[in-house]
Formats: sequence, C-alpha cells, structure tokens
Amino acid sequence: MSTSANAYNAGIMQKTGKAFADEYFAEENQVVHESDTVVLVLKKSDELNTVVEEILLGSHKAQNPTLIVEDRAGFWWLKANGKIEIDCREVSELLGKSYSVYDLLVDVSSTIGRAYTLDETFTITSELMGLDVKLQDVARA
Amino acid sequence: MAISAATKAATDALAVNHAPVSVGAQEVHRWLQSFTWDFDKNRTKYSTKYKMANDTKEQFKLIAKEYARMESVKDERQFGSLQDVLTRVDAANRVHPKWNESMKVISNFLEVGEYNAIAATGMLWDSATAPEQKNGYLGQVLDEIRHTNQCGYINYYFAKQGQDAAGHNDARRTRAIGPLWKGMKRVFSDGFISGDAVECSINLQLVGEACFTNPLIVAVTEWASANGDEMTPTVFLSIETDELRHMANGYQTVVSIANDEAASKYLNTDLNNAFWTQQKYFTPVLGMMFEYGSHFKVEPWVKTWNRWVYEDWGGIWIGRLGKYGVESPASLRDAKKDAYWAHHDLFLIAYALWPTGFFRLTLPTAEEAEWYEANYPGWYDMYGVVYEEWRARGCEDPNSGFLPIQWFIENNHPVYIDRVSQVPFCPSYSKGASTLRVLEFNGKKHSFSDQWGERMWLSEPERYECQNIFEQYEGRELSEVIAEGHGVRSDGFTLIAQPHTSKDGRLWTLDDIKKIGCVFADPLKAL
Repeated sequence: MSTSANAYNAGIMQKTGKAFADEYFAEENQVVHESDTVVLVLKKSDELNTVVEEILLGSHKAQNPTLIVEDRAGFWWLKANGKIEIDCREVSELLGKSYSVYDLLVDVSSTIGRAYTLDETFTITSELMGLDVKLQDVARA
Repeated sequence: MAISAATKAATDALAVNHAPVSVGAQEVHRWLQSFTWDFDKNRTKYSTKYKMANDTKEQFKLIAKEYARMESVKDERQFGSLQDVLTRVDAANRVHPKWNESMKVISNFLEVGEYNAIAATGMLWDSATAPEQKNGYLGQVLDEIRHTNQCGYINYYFAKQGQDAAGHNDARRTRAIGPLWKGMKRVFSDGFISGDAVECSINLQLVGEACFTNPLIVAVTEWASANGDEMTPTVFLSIETDELRHMANGYQTVVSIANDEAASKYLNTDLNNAFWTQQKYFTPVLGMMFEYGSHFKVEPWVKTWNRWVYEDWGGIWIGRLGKYGVESPASLRDAKKDAYWAHHDLFLIAYALWPTGFFRLTLPTAEEAEWYEANYPGWYDMYGVVYEEWRARGCEDPNSGFLPIQWFIENNHPVYIDRVSQVPFCPSYSKGASTLRVLEFNGKKHSFSDQWGERMWLSEPERYECQNIFEQYEGRELSEVIAEGHGVRSDGFTLIAQPHTSKDGRLWTLDDIKKIGCVFADPLKAL
C-alpha cells in the first residue's frame, strides 16, 4: 500500500470503524480544507495505457514525484500536487501515429481542478484559470 | 444595397483577420473568436440576478469538427465493445443479480438527469453573453443528448441480453408510485432547470457534475466491475469523458460572475442551497445502491463520499475559491452525518416500501451485517436487529402475509416525506441528519426533515407543491395502487419489485399484497 499523501486510500481512508468515525466527525473536519492537488481519471484504452506507463509514470513522475497513479478496474486514477500535463506531440511520437489533444480527450474521463488545452498540450492545474491566471489562445502561426 | 451591421462587422473582421492557412483546430478556434460577436446586449428568456461577464473563456477550445470527430470515436469504442466482445462473452448474465437490480435504478435515473441537462444547458446558452462561454454550453447540450441515448441504450442492453428485464425495460411507467422518483426529479429536473439561470448552473455543473458525477459515474464503475458488470464501465466512463468539459463550464460560470457585486451577496447562499439539494438525494441513494445493491463491497460508501465529495471537490474546487469569498457550505456538517448514516436510514424505508419500486431488494446477509458493523459501529443495534426480525417474520415469502412497513406502524414510527427533497424519512427511527418539522401553508401541512430544505421552502413555498404518495393515495389499498401505477410484470399480476433476488424464491403477486390489506395513510393528518 502506498504511503503517499496523494494515494487513493491515504490518511483517514486507511482507518476503519471507530477510528475513522472519530476523525471524520472531528470538529476541524466539518469545513472544507483548501487543497493544492489535482485529480485525473483516465479511461483505460490502448493509447491511454501507453501514456500512463511510458509518460506519466516515466518522465512526468520524475519531474513531479507527488504524482500517484492507481489502477481502479476500468480507469486509471491519478493525483498530484500542482499540475499534470500531457504533451500530445510526445504521445504521437511514442504511438507512431497522429494523436492530437482531442484524441486524448476521447479517454479523459474526469478531472478535479482546472483542466484546459493549449495547442497540443492538455493540462490540469490547481491554479485558478481565468481568475488568477489568464487562459491563453494558441499563438498565431 | 446597404449591408447589415452584422455583415459589415464580419467583413471588417475578415479584412484584418485572414482565415488561417492551416487547419489546426485551435488556430481555427482563435480565428472564430476574433469576429466581433455581439452578445453583450444579449436578450434572454432566462434571466439571472448576476451579471455574467462578456469575456469568459472556454477551457478546451472546441470547434464543431473536432467535437464531432471526438464524440464519434467515443461512440465507436463504446458500441463496438458492447456489441462485439461483451455480447460474445455473455457479459450481461455474469452480473451479480443484486447489482443487476441496482443498475435498474442508476441508469434509469441518470437518463432523466441527462435529459433535463439538455434543457438546462440550452437555457444557459441563451443566458450567457460571452461567445466562448456560449460555445462551451452548446457543446454540453449536444453531450447531454448523447448521454440520454447512452443511458437508454444500457437499459436496453441489460433488458435484451441479461437477466430479469422487468425494471430495465420500462421503469418510467412506475413513476407515480415509486417514492424514489419524485426526489430524483427534484435534483435532476427542478434543480437543473427552474429559477435563476446561474443558480441552475451551480446546481447542475458546479455541484451535480463537478461533485456528484464522480461517485455516480466514475466510482460506480469500480462497484460494477467488482460485481461482474463490465457494461457499465464501458458506457459510464465514456459519459464521463464529456463531464470534464461540463465541470469547466460550471467553473467558468463562477469566473464570469466573480467580479459582479451580486456574487458577494448571493453566491454562498446559492452554493449552499445547491449543495444541500444535490447531496440530500445523491448521498443516501447512491450509498444505498452501492452498499445494499452489491454482493462484493469495494469500500464503505462514507469513504467514497469522503474522497470525492469532501476532500477533492471540497478542497480542490471550493477550498481554492476561498480567496474569492466562496465559503465552505454551511450545511456540510449535516451532509457529512448523512454520508455516514442516511443511506442506512433510507434502505430501511426502501425495503419497507419495496412493493412500490421497480427493482428487487435483498436483506443484508449475516456476512454483510458483520461488514456493516465493522465499518459503521452501531449499525447492528439500529438496523441489524430490525432486519433479523423482518426475516424471522418471513418478509421475503409471499405466504407470510408480512410487509415490513407494518413494523413501522406497529412500533409507532411514522414515515414522512420531506416536502422539498421528496426524500422519505422516519424521524423517530433515524441516525442521519433528519428531524421532523411541520409547517402549515394555504391550509395544508408540510413536513420537512432539515433546516436547509425548510429555509428554501420558506423563501418560495409555491415551488414545492409536489404531492407525495401518502397524499396522492390516501385511503387507497396498496395492490390497487400498484396495478394502477403499472408496477406489475408482463403477466399482469406479478410485481416488478420483489423483496429478494433468489432464483428459487417465489415472486409476490397482486393477490399476495391484497390479502394483507395495507391502506395508504397520510401521517400529517395524525398531527
């Protein structure tokens, strides 16, 4: 079992019975607590399995060690601090075929955080896009 | 001939913004936005007390061509899986019978939500003034049409390929008698399409979709897979691939009003009302379907809720917006209590009222009772002992002459319906956040289970006039009502609903119900 704070069953989720109830109903847990993390749910598919194994668990994990990837039957569940970014030009090279950011969106099932696309990059970030940070359009050719 | 102002604007825009030479989707998107779209004086039929900004962006930069290509690939993958490999391996008959019943409720109810979301997002398209925001809402209209079809299709697939088609094939005909239908209409219909347009967006997109679709459409696939159901992950995870854009639409609705003075006055109240409205139904119903409608348990429902609703939606969506004045919902404490107990309360009542449903329910086994007690200390003394008594009295056997609702009557535990949420509750036998409140208006009594719904009712009581089953069928005998409300199978006398999923157990008929002599009574008349 992962000990990362970002794991699917991290923190209180490892407790059971009364111990879980005590923390769940504790006074400090009766309001929401701001979180700097993001969650991504990827539908399992030929392409997304490769993206997870070769890119997210490879170079991305090396850059952001807080990234956790868990196999939840039909989908991959990911959680990380800050952001998760997938460059579809890199995926395209890996798969050996044309693969746009809209091909990626075919199998991106859910997001918690601010997700957006820019050119061929998909990003999910904890930043408040449109409020703290301006959403950009693709640069003119 | 003079040219129109719109044509002149387009001509002027083209003069400085030449059509892109490439066919890159995002370049085309940027080019489309460079036209002088004139929506800032937008007239709408669907007004809002907020002023939506005119420069709100759409996060995914979709154009019609890429949208259509993307969605057609999703459909090819989904229908290809269902019609090829899943049919070949007889997947529908590998589903555990208890879970087969849960999917009757989940997929039929989600279909209603998706259908109403078509209207809701059409309304938002009409209300918004920013071109990109309109574009996001318009894409969602098309998504919701797709989702309605998907939900209808999975019911059709279960009915055609699987076991016990009754309930999968025509659930809506029971909508008058089933006590879960009206609450579902409150969250999935009224909450999405009635009243202030931005409030509807908060209900549908910021709470319904950004918060509750994660347990309803994502986490449900874990439970489905664990219980042998591989069709639901195929369809529901495909549905959810559109939901991320809907969540972004809801967030951008908030972005569009963030600088409006009205937001500082009304947004927290509207968010709290939407959160309570949605959780009041989703929390107990999903918990009941997951835990009581499965054989193999993934995890306690309260943990699913704690992860997706409290920690992640609460922390990542609501918590991050704190610096813009968005507060933790005031009703969160009661919602958390409900997430721990309300699904147990609801199952007790749902099982007691089983003949009015369109699905089969099963009492917890001894092994399941141990699981419940381990995960919800205190469960056995409250609920376990009652199920043991009902089982001992033969509640599953048509010859027993015992319906569990009799136990509530014998023990003076009246069951009421909350006027606002339409969720049944029993204030004298409950561990969730329910207490009885009764108010009178226009000569009629109304029961409420909590202060949050009561507050909403007090501000617009005319909105919540839906008759509940106790008022509608006051004085009527139960088997007559079931027959009138189409609660029977194609033979005309066997009930769709049953209190067991055993292949060997006898199925209850209208005659079995009739001989018990159960008559509807409105508990408010006794007060």
